[in-house]
Amino acid sequence: MSHLPSLPILSVRDLVKTYREGSLDRAVLQGLSFDIKKGELVVLLGRSGSGKSTLLNLISGMDAPTTGSIRFRDTELTKLSETERTLFRRHAIGIIFQSFNLIPTLKVEENILLPLELGGKLDKDQRQRALAVLEEVGLADRAGSFPDLLSGGEQQRVAIARALAHDPLLILADEPTGNLDFKTAGLVMDILERIVHDKERTMLIATHDRDIIGLADRVFELQEGVLREVSPAESAH
Amino acid sequence: MALSIVGVALGVAVVVGIDLANTSARTAFTLSTETVAGRATHSLEASSGTLPDSVYRIIKVDEGFRDAAPVIEGSVRIGEVDGPVVQVLGVDPLAEDPFRSFTGGPDGGIDLGRFMGRSPGVLVAAATAERLNLPEEGRFSAWHEGQHVDLEVEALLPVDSDLDAASLENLIVVDIATAQRVLTMQGQLSRVDLILPEGTEAAFRANHMRGLPDNVTLEQSAGRSDTLAQMTEAFSLNLTAMSLLALVVGMFLIYNTMTFSVVQRRPLLGRLRAVGVTRREMYWMIISEALLVGLAGSILGVVGGLALGNVLVGLVTQTINDLYFVVRIRDLDVSAWSIGKGLAIGIGSTILSTLPPAREATRTAPSMVLKRSATETSTLHALPRLVVSGVVLAVAGVGILWLSGKSIAWSYGGILAIILAFACWIPPIVLLGARTLRPVLGRVFGIIGRMGASGIEQSLSRSAVAVAALTIAVASTTGVGVMVDSFRTTVNTWLTYALEADIYISPPGDVFRRNDATITAEAEHFIRSRPDVEAAYSVRTARVLIDNQETDLIVTEPRPRELEPGRYKATMTGDFRRAMQESDVVMVSEPYAFRYGTNVGDSLRIMTSHGPVAFRVGAIYYDYASDLGVVQMTRDRYDIHFDDPRVSGLAVYATDGKDLDGLIQDLREGTASVQSLNIRSNRDLRQASLDVFDQTFTVTTVLRLLAILVAFVGVLTALMALQLERSRELAVLRANGMTPGQVGRMITLQTSSMGLLAGLLSVPLGLVLAWLLIYVINQRSFGWTLQFEVDGVILLQAILLAVVAAALAAMYPSLSMSRTKASEALREE
Ligand SMILES: Nc1ncnc2c1ncn2[C@@H]1O[C@H](COP(=O)(O)OP(=O)(O)OP(=O)(O)O)[C@@H](O)[C@H]1O
Ligand SMILES: [Mg+2]
Repeated sequence: MSHLPSLPILSVRDLVKTYREGSLDRAVLQGLSFDIKKGELVVLLGRSGSGKSTLLNLISGMDAPTTGSIRFRDTELTKLSETERTLFRRHAIGIIFQSFNLIPTLKVEENILLPLELGGKLDKDQRQRALAVLEEVGLADRAGSFPDLLSGGEQQRVAIARALAHDPLLILADEPTGNLDFKTAGLVMDILERIVHDKERTMLIATHDRDIIGLADRVFELQEGVLREVSPAESAH
Repeated sequence: MALSIVGVALGVAVVVGIDLANTSARTAFTLSTETVAGRATHSLEASSGTLPDSVYRIIKVDEGFRDAAPVIEGSVRIGEVDGPVVQVLGVDPLAEDPFRSFTGGPDGGIDLGRFMGRSPGVLVAAATAERLNLPEEGRFSAWHEGQHVDLEVEALLPVDSDLDAASLENLIVVDIATAQRVLTMQGQLSRVDLILPEGTEAAFRANHMRGLPDNVTLEQSAGRSDTLAQMTEAFSLNLTAMSLLALVVGMFLIYNTMTFSVVQRRPLLGRLRAVGVTRREMYWMIISEALLVGLAGSILGVVGGLALGNVLVGLVTQTINDLYFVVRIRDLDVSAWSIGKGLAIGIGSTILSTLPPAREATRTAPSMVLKRSATETSTLHALPRLVVSGVVLAVAGVGILWLSGKSIAWSYGGILAIILAFACWIPPIVLLGARTLRPVLGRVFGIIGRMGASGIEQSLSRSAVAVAALTIAVASTTGVGVMVDSFRTTVNTWLTYALEADIYISPPGDVFRRNDATITAEAEHFIRSRPDVEAAYSVRTARVLIDNQETDLIVTEPRPRELEPGRYKATMTGDFRRAMQESDVVMVSEPYAFRYGTNVGDSLRIMTSHGPVAFRVGAIYYDYASDLGVVQMTRDRYDIHFDDPRVSGLAVYATDGKDLDGLIQDLREGTASVQSLNIRSNRDLRQASLDVFDQTFTVTTVLRLLAILVAFVGVLTALMALQLERSRELAVLRANGMTPGQVGRMITLQTSSMGLLAGLLSVPLGLVLAWLLIYVINQRSFGWTLQFEVDGVILLQAILLAVVAAALAAMYPSLSMSRTKASEALREE
């Protein structure tokens, strides 16, 4: 479908995550390995409970794996401390949740600037860029509103803008359309597709919404703790 | 759950502890007067404090009245000149039977004959002997008014009943002759106890009292404990104020913890609602759980209250002993009433404070239970109503204060209403404050600061309660602090002019406010005749019946320099000082005038040695030495009307330029062989007086600390509820790159801002409370005029205290919040 850039921005190797439940260890992820290259839109399929969110949390550094390696270019995430992982996430990763998770006390504009502002004072340039992103999702005129005045779809578009504003290396989206109706979901998907392919951004979307697959460059399926790459066509039915 | 129980327990403990200390002190008074009064219904007393022992002989022998017993009361110090003080009760063993139970009744085991025969013999309870290190049999030293006496333990008192054990704790019993010798009351008695059948009082007066001296009066025994009770009124009042405060703060605390426990389980409740538990079922579930928490917390609280009560009782006894009366509080007086009250308050306020959060959790639609914003919107809507309720309460409070006259209980009610009014205004003020702080904090701390400030607004219903609890706690300590400060400054100023001589000499008394000790004539003569003593004036303090009330009469010789006019509240026209020398004119202290509504020109009926005499009031003077009020008379008039040449103290002026320390040394050495006396310089005495003052307020300090502790836990629980509600939001922030450190800083900024708001708000409320304490409570209780003194330091301290308390309370929640895994918090969808 498109040309594939050569260098992977993310390499995951032998990733294992086990949860302790009482005296039993339950391995949710049992040794995953894959790469994601720049400009790719990768879809992660899997049944509920298969470990999609778990994987995304490990990649974003919100949680630490039991064993294995997660490498972004030359940063080995598993070797970082909690705070270092947070700082890395702040500038290298954008996250979109199922429930839009905007901060109610911050205006739309402030929500978008949040990851940048957490890093220190904003300069004019950054502010400009953030507003441009808001333009991209078609909400430039709502910059001054508080999130609770927006519709669900609009809120998710703000959340998308927030994930893009600091120009991250990788955007993670966990069921981004899960809380939206069919029509709005389509709209949001279009935006996601556009932002990836227009500006060479990289995105990993976890979903069980098979409609999304059509947009994907590659599709992974998570089953019983193991990851398998499937062709978009094969998984469509 | 554990936290809510602790919260309830702490609130109940404070209330119960203070209540117990208070009632125990009261009971101790009643007990000690009861042992001494025994079953006597009446007694014969004399206005001068003592009556000749011939009175007893006349009643018993000449009049043939059988149920009469002579009594001598006093106190001695055991072992050393400044050893522990015990009450001395002198009785006639043969006449005692119908009166007092401590001799063990007719077959009580004490050989009265032996007891009577041996003059220095002392009866003492075993426990008392042990406590005082008295030998089981044999001699020991004691001191009375600086003079040494020998005593000997004769027998241990059998303990018949509990009442006896408690009240005998601080008592030694001797026969009349020994008492007269030890207490230097030769030929004198304190009173003659009588048992008069009901309704025969008038007959007794008519039939048996004609042969008695004029100044002997028939009194009801019950009256005596009233006087004692009055003495500790100031004290009691202090404690009551504090326990009221503890109650308010305790209820806040309980409200906070219960809200917290409901909030904590809101997701669970939401799920239950979704599963189909009805609103009513859930409501009852929450309430019955509150009942359990309230019960468990209250029981724990009562136990804690007992412990706290023990500590407080220690402090209370110390103060009372030093200031008012020799009393020993053996045990906490644990009445079912105190405990019941504690339980009722604990359980009642637990359930009451669960109602709003329970309603909040059950009213909303199942899906909404998970969302905080629903409550916050309703909080915003409630603001105007709160402001109006505040106004209504404030008006009611002022109205109550206005109309309540001298009633202290109602005055406290009014003050409570004003505090609550203030509490109602706190949420809107907190909202305004948070909005004002937002840009300021934003400028200094960036987005962390902005979010910290808006966090307050976002969870207004929680943060306002926390701020209110902290404000009230801090304001009450400021209020009491300013009141005590004002009081102290006033007393200090007053001491400066009240104590103008160089050296003050008095016999070592047993209790500060009831020093009946006198200086021997020999010692007085020696002091006055020293070459370096330029002038001296004597003071005599006697307890006399004035308008049928036992009152301290202070008798002074003219001072070399008289008080400035500004030291009088009111004087009669003309030279009242001359009038006091030349005619029957006295002056009264401000508390006296207040207590009895006395004005200049009024007439007082004073029971003299020769019967009642009418004196005119020539002036009302400021005096802070006694809250009961005293009357002052010149020595000249006293000598005319009373057969009492003794003096209680001497004020000495040194010859100009003489070394004071040298003179004091000289006087000490010169009097040592005659009488051990307290000889203190002006400066020392003033310091001693201030020390006594400070000691009176030690309990206050402890209680203030407690109030802060309770408020602290209140803030802590409010913060925890608040953070719990926001855990998801915090997780989102973490996901967006907020480091754990930044989370901690944001929460600390938020709570410190709340602390700052509480600190700032506590200043006006604290000043209002101080003003009310000084001009309403103190005025209505004692009638003292106090200067309103505000030390800026106290106010700064208050603000600092609030900020530090809040910041400390933030430590735990911010630590736990920054530690929890964001990924976990986000899972709960
Ligand atoms: N903190 C945890 N402790 C224990 N078990 C966990 C924890 N987090 C996730 N799990 C378990 O790991 C498995 C994978 O969960 P995960 O949330 O990753 O699934 P998912 O694929 O995202 O499901 P869904 O499509 O429903 O979102 C589940 O069985 C879950 O119970
Ligand atoms: Mg998931």
